[in-house]
Amino acid sequence: MNRENSTNVVELLNLKMYFPITRGLLRRKVGEIKAVDDVSFTIKKNETLGLVGESGCGKTTTGWCILRLYKPTAGKIIFNGRDISSMKENQLRPFRSRMGAIFQDPYGSLNPRQTARTIVGMPIIIHGMKTKGYDDRVEELFKLVGLDPSMMTRVPHEFSGGQRQRLGIARALACQPELIICDEPVSALDVSIQAQIINLLEDLQEKLGLTYLFIAHDLSVVQHISNRVAVMYLGRIIEIANSKELYANPLHPYTKALLSAIPVPNPVIERKRTRIVLKGEVPSPADPPPGCPFHPRCNVAIDDCKTEKPQLKDVGNGHMVACFRV
Amino acid sequence: MTNNANNNPQPVDIAKWSETAPRYSETKRMISVFIGRPLPVIGLVIIVLLILVAIFAPLLAPYPPNQMDIPNKLQQPSSEHWLGTDSLGRDTLSRIIYGSRTSLIIGISVMAISSITGTVLGLVAAYFGGAIYHIIMRFMDALMAFPMLLLALLVASLLGAGMLNIIIALGIGMIAAPCRLMCGVVMSVKQNDYVLSARAMGMSNLRLMFQEILPNAFPPLLVMITISIGAVILAEAGLSFLGIGITPPTATWGGMVNDGYKFITTHPVLAISPGVAIMLIVFGFNMLGDGLRDALDPKLRGVI
Amino acid sequence: MSLLSIENLKTYFHTYRGLVKAVDGVSFNVDEKEIVGLVGESGCGKSVSMLSVLQLISSPPGEIVGGKVMFEGQDLLKYRSKSNMMNSIRGAKIAMIFQEPMTSLNPVLTIGRQLTESMEVHLKMTPQMARERAVELLRLVGIPDAKRRLDAYPHQFSGGMRQRMMIGIALSCNPKILIADEPTTAVDVTTQAQLLELMRDMVDRFNTALIIVTHNLGVVARYAERIYVMYSGRIVESGLADEIFLEPRHPYTIGLLKCVPQLGETRQERRLEPIKGLPPNLINMPPNCAFLPRCNYAIDRCNLEPWPSLKHVGGRHYVACFREILEKS
Repeated sequence: MNRENSTNVVELLNLKMYFPITRGLLRRKVGEIKAVDDVSFTIKKNETLGLVGESGCGKTTTGWCILRLYKPTAGKIIFNGRDISSMKENQLRPFRSRMGAIFQDPYGSLNPRQTARTIVGMPIIIHGMKTKGYDDRVEELFKLVGLDPSMMTRVPHEFSGGQRQRLGIARALACQPELIICDEPVSALDVSIQAQIINLLEDLQEKLGLTYLFIAHDLSVVQHISNRVAVMYLGRIIEIANSKELYANPLHPYTKALLSAIPVPNPVIERKRTRIVLKGEVPSPADPPPGCPFHPRCNVAIDDCKTEKPQLKDVGNGHMVACFRV
Repeated sequence: MTNNANNNPQPVDIAKWSETAPRYSETKRMISVFIGRPLPVIGLVIIVLLILVAIFAPLLAPYPPNQMDIPNKLQQPSSEHWLGTDSLGRDTLSRIIYGSRTSLIIGISVMAISSITGTVLGLVAAYFGGAIYHIIMRFMDALMAFPMLLLALLVASLLGAGMLNIIIALGIGMIAAPCRLMCGVVMSVKQNDYVLSARAMGMSNLRLMFQEILPNAFPPLLVMITISIGAVILAEAGLSFLGIGITPPTATWGGMVNDGYKFITTHPVLAISPGVAIMLIVFGFNMLGDGLRDALDPKLRGVI
Repeated sequence: MSLLSIENLKTYFHTYRGLVKAVDGVSFNVDEKEIVGLVGESGCGKSVSMLSVLQLISSPPGEIVGGKVMFEGQDLLKYRSKSNMMNSIRGAKIAMIFQEPMTSLNPVLTIGRQLTESMEVHLKMTPQMARERAVELLRLVGIPDAKRRLDAYPHQFSGGMRQRMMIGIALSCNPKILIADEPTTAVDVTTQAQLLELMRDMVDRFNTALIIVTHNLGVVARYAERIYVMYSGRIVESGLADEIFLEPRHPYTIGLLKCVPQLGETRQERRLEPIKGLPPNLINMPPNCAFLPRCNYAIDRCNLEPWPSLKHVGGRHYVACFREILEKS
């Protein structure tokens, strides 16, 4: 696949999302949580970018900024050539129909009081595209995600977890978006169902030419579905590389620890693996350590790491890493 | 796959198992939970009977409620006056039958006013948050701190006694509870991913509030309204008992208890029978509310 | 003789929609100091079977309808849930760590109190002795400045430390068996690695047997010596870790191993092979093998006969399937 000259669907430039911490009656600002701190990346058309990291690392916040559920503190979100980072709601409307979102919780992401037909067709209704082809379109969406259209009149609790996630996917596809933000779409599902949904997402991407931002904490799932993977830690991207490259040649000490922490379902391989057990816990994003955010837990940290923030640097072949020791 | 598996794969009859989650009706489940317990059903029966009594009062009452018959005042129960007559010779049974109208009208209209206003205020407060939330909720705190009796006295002295004024006084006094409940429920409902997802689609605030959030916040409110109707009826009876409620000669149960209790030693039925009626209707609404709470409990939904 | 042996355990739930056979004839044994994995997807009855061992099933709707739980020569199911016998077993001889360690600590009691309480009750220790041991335990689970921390409340600790304390509390009475019910489902992978390593070191130090109940195949591959695979209330395959992962014989186990993405594997290299269909609805199940509708290996016999029982296929490997499938990985 030649992606060199394909267009960027999304480009993030130094995105920052700080949440104020307020205290007292007058809601005095006493600090801020740097949920996303200077994140830049691009996603090309028809590509899947995986975003991994542990809870609180800012991966979901990044996704929600692109969806403009948040208004970023600083930085640019260029979607389809336009900066949407500070647009007002009415300006955003046409862009909203070009983006879809799939959420983690298949139980919480569907309104329990609406029928499957209403849920799937909702984006079409909201964007005023409800024409006489509407019923056919909804039926087509059901078939597209592998659901029987005869189930359209059911309400969410009558579907299983995997089927609900299919409904969520159908809804995300309703307005024929280019970009889909998948926020932990399979983490709440049983393993035997996870594979069905991953395959469905992969097939839909090929069929419809979709672009995905795939946010998840499970590195093996992310690596499987993504072309490139970005690893986040405390609001910053610390490494970004081609999926295979990241596995075969991880450079950042955190990525190495993350990879080694994932147990592989094969006892023979497991016995041979070296395990890096990280010390301590992730620091609070309200009070991130100075310098490299990972340095207090890093086993190769040097003095520079404690004072200066390493920037992402290209080490060849699009592999970027933010570490002084590389 | 090994050769073993491909040897002779047999078709499997999977018709016995459904490929999908089984279809079952939520409404059916709710009804079965509701009727599965005796007390809510008794409550429902009491309330349905009382509503029928209120509607068909003119047909059921043996005498007009305000027809005085001074020569026959303060009669003990007899075949002519099943529950006797009061100090003005009015038939107690007829007055109790007509009194059900007053109680139900007040109970329902007060809760209609307070729950609609409270719901909208609570929804707006919780949805927008920030300053709007603080203004609305502090106002509700003030309202809650204000004794209902005092409020009713205030309204009565400003507007005079009477059914409409009682409804206004109690209606205002009851806003805080549904507003606070709604606020709390909406706070949690709005965290749901489906609200987020609708926002990501660009749904307008009004639609988000009334289409996505409100229907999901409604069940606990319904339970509260039902139970509160009982409380309102009791409050009205209390006000009427104190003489600041509905003006005579309209038949109200509270007023009847007030009239009757002067004769409690000689004619106990005068005070006790409207008292029992009050007890029954309040009990009925409380039991109905309890039953609704169990039937609408989301924790019981989808339990295999 | 094994330390704990469960024979033909059956736990049913009487629900509004019908009878749910959550655990339907599970047999299971654990030797001293052994690390056993119990794997299965949600709703397969893995947690319920462990809760049944300790009689922590809420009844109604749950009911243990049959079977034996042999522990130290006694059938625990002969005793009532609230009997002195069960109280002296729970926590003291068989300890359990739950899925939500954050809510398992009482927020109004100090850590010291929660640690020493069971030691004073079960081990008849004096408060002084219990306190000394509590300090030692906290030190072992890696909590710095343990002596001072004893008087702190749970909210004063970070999430990771609270989970470490849960492990400390569970092991405070030197139990014979530690049951960890989805111990790491709610935590991140690097924390998961920390906790599992700690748990393994601790059971090793205390000579405790460990039962890891999880849906994560990787976790059992890494830590368990022997594995039980559950599906729909029954054990479908059991054996040593190598037997299960390298020579899986039950179609469900085979399917599970094929449907998870391998670390480092991309979609260009291999498309995942999901298990078709959905896990069965446990209400009013037919007597046939519950995996039948999803099975790629099914034969006529599966339709005609009730669920096959476990049969020995070599080593310590048992499988409940009519077919002789051998899949080498």
